[in-house]
Amino acid sequence: MSGRALAAGTSLVGGVETRVSRSLPRLFGSIAAMAALLALVPLWVGDSRVRMGVAILGLAFACYAVGFNLIFGSTGQLFLCVGALAGVGGYGTALLADRAGVPLVAALIISTLGAALVGGLLSWVAVRRSLGVIFAGIITLIFALSFENLVLGASTLTGGDAGIQVSAGSGTFLRQRTAGYYVMLGLVVLCLVVHGLLRRSRVGWAFRALRDDEVAAELAGVDVSRYRVYAALVGSAMLGLAGGAYALIAGRVSPTTYGFAQVDVVVIVMLAFGGIGSLFGPVLGAVVFTILDELLIELGQLRLLAYGALIIVLFLWIRRGVIPTLAGLVRRTPGSPPAPAAGEEPG
Amino acid sequence: MTASILDGIVLGLQFGVLAAGLTLVYGLGGVLNLAYGQIAVVSGLITLLTMEAGLPAVPAALVGLVTGGVLGLVFDLTILQPVYRRHGEARVLLSLLLTLGAAFVIDGYLNWRYPLQGLNLRITGDPLVILGVRMRMGSVVASGITIVVIGVLFWLFRYTRLGRAIRSVIQDEEGSRLVGIDPQVMMRLILVLSGVLAAIVAITRSMVAPVNVRAGFSLTVLGLIVTVVGGLGSIPGAFLAGLVLGIINSVASSYIGTFLSLIILLVAAAITIVIRPAGLLGVRE
Repeated sequence: MSGRALAAGTSLVGGVETRVSRSLPRLFGSIAAMAALLALVPLWVGDSRVRMGVAILGLAFACYAVGFNLIFGSTGQLFLCVGALAGVGGYGTALLADRAGVPLVAALIISTLGAALVGGLLSWVAVRRSLGVIFAGIITLIFALSFENLVLGASTLTGGDAGIQVSAGSGTFLRQRTAGYYVMLGLVVLCLVVHGLLRRSRVGWAFRALRDDEVAAELAGVDVSRYRVYAALVGSAMLGLAGGAYALIAGRVSPTTYGFAQVDVVVIVMLAFGGIGSLFGPVLGAVVFTILDELLIELGQLRLLAYGALIIVLFLWIRRGVIPTLAGLVRRTPGSPPAPAAGEEPG
Repeated sequence: MTASILDGIVLGLQFGVLAAGLTLVYGLGGVLNLAYGQIAVVSGLITLLTMEAGLPAVPAALVGLVTGGVLGLVFDLTILQPVYRRHGEARVLLSLLLTLGAAFVIDGYLNWRYPLQGLNLRITGDPLVILGVRMRMGSVVASGITIVVIGVLFWLFRYTRLGRAIRSVIQDEEGSRLVGIDPQVMMRLILVLSGVLAAIVAITRSMVAPVNVRAGFSLTVLGLIVTVVGGLGSIPGAFLAGLVLGIINSVASSYIGTFLSLIILLVAAAITIVIRPAGLLGVRE
């Protein structure tokens, strides 16, 4: 890691992926390959209702991790309200469709826009000030807790602690295990395509510039604040959409579906494990930790302890992410040049 | 109305002490401690366990204060060391992530080991009538302790060599190093002080309402709101914002609804950031 990147500040999350392929066929090809692999999962676990439920939740988490990656990995804004924004989508869709009689698809779209608006607004408030990165962390954490309080408190609407059954979507293909899984997989692909296209566009260039060196980016004519808000808008839309779709597919939402301790901590670990800023890292992290989480289910509350410890370990020692680090080790075979270290931009 | 305002002042004094612990650490070292509320909860829990072991309330509370200080020291010596090696935003971001991890570690352990414990220090005695409102003795004692703590903090920072040394580090870290002040030592002292303040909040809070083992994040978030409104790094700002927000919170809770009070505080914090980014009494950067 160069001294300049250190001084630049946000280097903490930057520098994982240094070169982004401009080739469209390659982008779509790799997303399709990953989708094809994940599409095989129902063949493996399809006969178990419980396991399909876990797989669907895993895909929802993959979407959350991609959305969080777009916000945190691309622009360094630590959004600590991933669960709450997904909850805006989830509770929004459920309440609009069931209580207000809005058609299902419209309810999902409105709640997605709602989540995007809330996320964008939080980011807009945070970037008002030179210390935007810190304020994003503070104000999103405050929002996460406010949302939990609101859901628990407004129990006539939200069912409080017990949550609510979502009757919208029941009787449709969404509730058939396999079809629900493929809808969720479609959303993962959608999020990846959006993120992939953004990365290779001018916006992606601006994201990398402001992430590597905010001051230099500003001098080069990048409106840093505006791009931060853009990233928050798009990323939050992904969170809201995935949260809303999950509510329709699972047929039930409760505060723990979108809780801070249940979602945010896991998503941070998934992303840090898979590689912050990389395109597929969050999905790989989501797959690994969905499986691990099932194996560790007996630990109960101690799982939270384990995830907390993992956050510390990952950000202290394996900041590039476990998967990129492993990939780097594999690539470093005799005869080939060593993989560039994190933060080293060629040229 | 008078009753809610008086309740708000009781709460606001505690908000002020809570935020002072956070804002001092941030002002001095650019470190934000998201496990701050958990330090308070652990201190409260240790106080409870000490009382259950047979000690009277006052010595048990002292054990709680020592616990808070020791936890602050442990944070300084362990996960904050790599944080100090970074600068600017990278330092704050790393401190947010590592202390968040630590907060989950503590929360996970507490929820597993002591899921139903809660500290509730009952102060007996006849209610005191203030401005025609009957105030519970617990609230009166808690506020008395908080006011003394605030007074001691002001004396410490205004009139002692140590306080001047700390303020000089806050103003200019390099300059203070040149005149022979070691910022590392000051930081360590401030983390211990911050832990003690967290413990004081847990103990005084438990005289008014039970403090549950799950309260960690809500305490941190309340502290953060007050810190943002008062101005990051400003102690007088923390106390002023604490009082204002305490009254807002209390009035909003009784007239609008408890579950909305945090949203109202969030909006207050957001408006402050937009209109006056430095906070009420903060220094513009």
